Amino acid sequence: MASRKSSSLKSSVKSTAARAAKAPVRALKRATRKAPASGRTASPRKAAKASTGALKLPTLHESTTSSGLKVIAAERGPLPLVSMRLVLRAGSATDPDGKHGLADFTARLLRRGTRRLTAQAIDETVEFVGASLGVGVGEDTMSIALTTPAEHFAQMLGVLGQLVREPTFPQSEVDDARERALAQFSNDLDDPSVIADRAMVRALWGDHPYGHDVGGSSRTVRTFTRDDVVRFHQERLGPKVAMLVVVGAVKPERVAAAAEEAFVGWTGGPDAPPTVPPLKRIPQAGRVLLVDKPDQTQSQVRLGGPGFRMGHEDYFPATAMNIALGGGFTSRLMNEIRVNRGLTYGVSSWFDSMNAGGVFALSTFTKTASTREIIDVALGEIRSVREKGLKPKELADAQAYLAGLYPLRTETNESIAGSIADTRIHGLGDDWVEKFRDRLRAVTPKQVSAAAKKYCLAEAPAVVVLGRAAEVKKHLKGLGPITVVPASEYE
Amino acid sequence: MRKASQVTAPARAADPALESLFDVHEATLPNGLQVRLLANHQAPVVSLYTFFQVGSRNERPGITGISHLFEHMMFNGAKKYGPKMFDKTLESSGGRSNAYTSNDMTVYYDDFAADSLETVLDLESDRMRSLRISQDTLTSEREVVKEERRVRVDNDIAGIMDEELGTLVYKAHAYRWPVIGWMADIENITREDCQEYFRTYYAPNNAVLYIVGDIDPKKTLALVRKYYGNIPRGPAPAKVLNAEPEQKGERRALVRHPAQSPALMLGFRGPSAREDDTFTLDVAQYVLTKGEGSRLVRSLVYEQKLCVSIMLDWSWRIDPGTILFYLELKPDSDPQKVEAALYAELEKLARDGITDRELQKAQNNLRADHMRELATNNGRAHALGHYEALLGDWRRLLTLPNAYSSITNDMVKAAAAKYFAPERRSVVTLLPAPSEA
Repeated sequence: MASRKSSSLKSSVKSTAARAAKAPVRALKRATRKAPASGRTASPRKAAKASTGALKLPTLHESTTSSGLKVIAAERGPLPLVSMRLVLRAGSATDPDGKHGLADFTARLLRRGTRRLTAQAIDETVEFVGASLGVGVGEDTMSIALTTPAEHFAQMLGVLGQLVREPTFPQSEVDDARERALAQFSNDLDDPSVIADRAMVRALWGDHPYGHDVGGSSRTVRTFTRDDVVRFHQERLGPKVAMLVVVGAVKPERVAAAAEEAFVGWTGGPDAPPTVPPLKRIPQAGRVLLVDKPDQTQSQVRLGGPGFRMGHEDYFPATAMNIALGGGFTSRLMNEIRVNRGLTYGVSSWFDSMNAGGVFALSTFTKTASTREIIDVALGEIRSVREKGLKPKELADAQAYLAGLYPLRTETNESIAGSIADTRIHGLGDDWVEKFRDRLRAVTPKQVSAAAKKYCLAEAPAVVVLGRAAEVKKHLKGLGPITVVPASEYE
Repeated sequence: MRKASQVTAPARAADPALESLFDVHEATLPNGLQVRLLANHQAPVVSLYTFFQVGSRNERPGITGISHLFEHMMFNGAKKYGPKMFDKTLESSGGRSNAYTSNDMTVYYDDFAADSLETVLDLESDRMRSLRISQDTLTSEREVVKEERRVRVDNDIAGIMDEELGTLVYKAHAYRWPVIGWMADIENITREDCQEYFRTYYAPNNAVLYIVGDIDPKKTLALVRKYYGNIPRGPAPAKVLNAEPEQKGERRALVRHPAQSPALMLGFRGPSAREDDTFTLDVAQYVLTKGEGSRLVRSLVYEQKLCVSIMLDWSWRIDPGTILFYLELKPDSDPQKVEAALYAELEKLARDGITDRELQKAQNNLRADHMRELATNNGRAHALGHYEALLGDWRRLLTLPNAYSSITNDMVKAAAAKYFAPERRSVVTLLPAPSEA
């Protein structure tokens, strides 16, 4: 299938699921339809009119197991399904030096055998009833998500408990997982957007704990031993840095009782979440990294600079600003680059905000010959917002857009569980979802101007281009010192 | 080809849990537009889908890709809302929109704040009634689509292989060419082609409208009549002829392209969506590749360690479709050996069938996935349209769990023996070629 819009271009290598086979175009059952990073504006009158309906969120019930695990339950129908998510503060930022990717590697191995169940038995137990188990690692957290038909809730929570309490990490499974990961790293070299994203992470964060791909690299993964995994599990995973969120067709009392049973006696891990230092400076600011992939007919382009941590006071002004700049389909970037000039199929900008810091970034692609043009137009639009802010109507449209669509984030058990976990981890307050639209609508043009001055690449950006270097290099003069590296650098 | 129905009465019974969720109001306007409305007051949002019965299946050589290029043009201005106004008006009303084109249909959707319903109906009816196709926007949009083709096909290994496979599996049918079209055709489609296409396929009698969410169905139907009622009916589009000849043996193609590893893509000629074997093949698909414990994942990825990943896609189509396998190999895997391992599994399925537990597991998962698909307004609206377009009636979505429950081991064996026969298969092998620096 072909579709009018590309999905959001934001790096998709952050979750384990993203490593599944890439479906061929014709065989996709539905177009990719990830929500645009965000939106646009309406007059205050319109904003007040749009989305007046209240958000009906289920009540949260909190409890703590005897082993010290915090449990949050929210009952929600009508479908007979339950979504549960165990979130641990053991993301890729906690990867030991020289062992980048260990959190992700460990997470994948949790389901490859426990004291009571072999890998095959785990798969069979979960998959037989129609439940689905997924493991994901981000910079700040490791998440184990299980969605199940409601009647199997307690049994599935029991499996989830086993995965973190008593994984055995069989030697053969460790060896196989390492071999599969290395093969995947190799094949990733054929995916231009994945390699460009990896190069960008390194350009923006450098040696910072957020400065490597969540999966690590072939160089680090090659060194992983069973001892590494066992040690990471003992030192990093435990009830005091974890939280269980359960949303769906199940009574809160049942959740508390089942959690007690599933996690009884769980020990280990640190007493407190890791502390990650803020980023002092974008290491590749003002420089160009040209990743050479000679077979390309198209260049992948990334631009980036400083942003802010999740929960920062600039969140709402910056979010509203970005909707108008590079969020929705009517954003300035989309308008100038795609609609007016036909230079690309997709362009977007976003703030990537994590617990200890964040970045502002732009992603797009174009045919080799127009590589410089697309960079210049993008930088011009960003500069214009930095210097002049937004027109009042643009801001109002952005507010109406995001406020109108925000309730979509409360449609599924999975998305609600995810929001609950995020608000707790980043200390956003339990009224975050409920107050979101009011706070967004309260943003003023003056606040937007201030945010734009701060975040719209006031300092020269880090530039990453992946493409045919022999042809592209001469077009990149004047953007900063150019370093050319082969794509294989990012295996 | 079509065999007598094996589906018994219970297979057509509605699932009670689903029936209670689908209190659908139906209407047909005098101009032929069909309307399906469903209330869900869980959140103050609505999803609207428009399904047009046209896709690359309706194209001809020389204008391949017009369905998809035209889908882009539907966002580029009509009589009341001119260029750029569709998106501007929708987004500033708290809405978003997207669309996709498949071999069989072209599908548009809007998700939006419930109180913008009337604005969305105005926007959607405007472009159905009086789309304006200007030379300037066509010229610019053509470049966008060429970039889309470069990113999805020309610089994507699965995209390259998929295009090759299409021309192997089909000799005469329009499923032969890619939905996005051949590059030269994209470059040559004219404004007149687009106008002709609009007149032929975008009339209200060739469309079905689905609105699901925080709505009052009665009031909504009155609004639909107000905005769409005076769009004139069009002539019935010509029927698509299926001239595909019988396949007389295995077909193969080799692709050399810079890559780290070999890859395999295989297509077996399957039935059309409305044949009962469609559901049996769904069960077979789940047994073979759904989940880590499925047969092919366990065997080819975990035990024999030949592949990094394996995907099976059985996409329902109006005309006989393709059962497609895509295997990403390890850098040192031998494609011939992997093919042999795959065929051994498929032969085992045809010979020995599946266990009762495998059957039950597939049925459990098909039901659970069906429920998950229906969790959002968007999912419900899409499902109504999807099943109506491919199976002829949206009510079939209520009976799906029971249709799957009626599948037996003998049916799976028979389907595997029939559809995985070597003479139904086409194979594309990708071998790494050195990159020309």
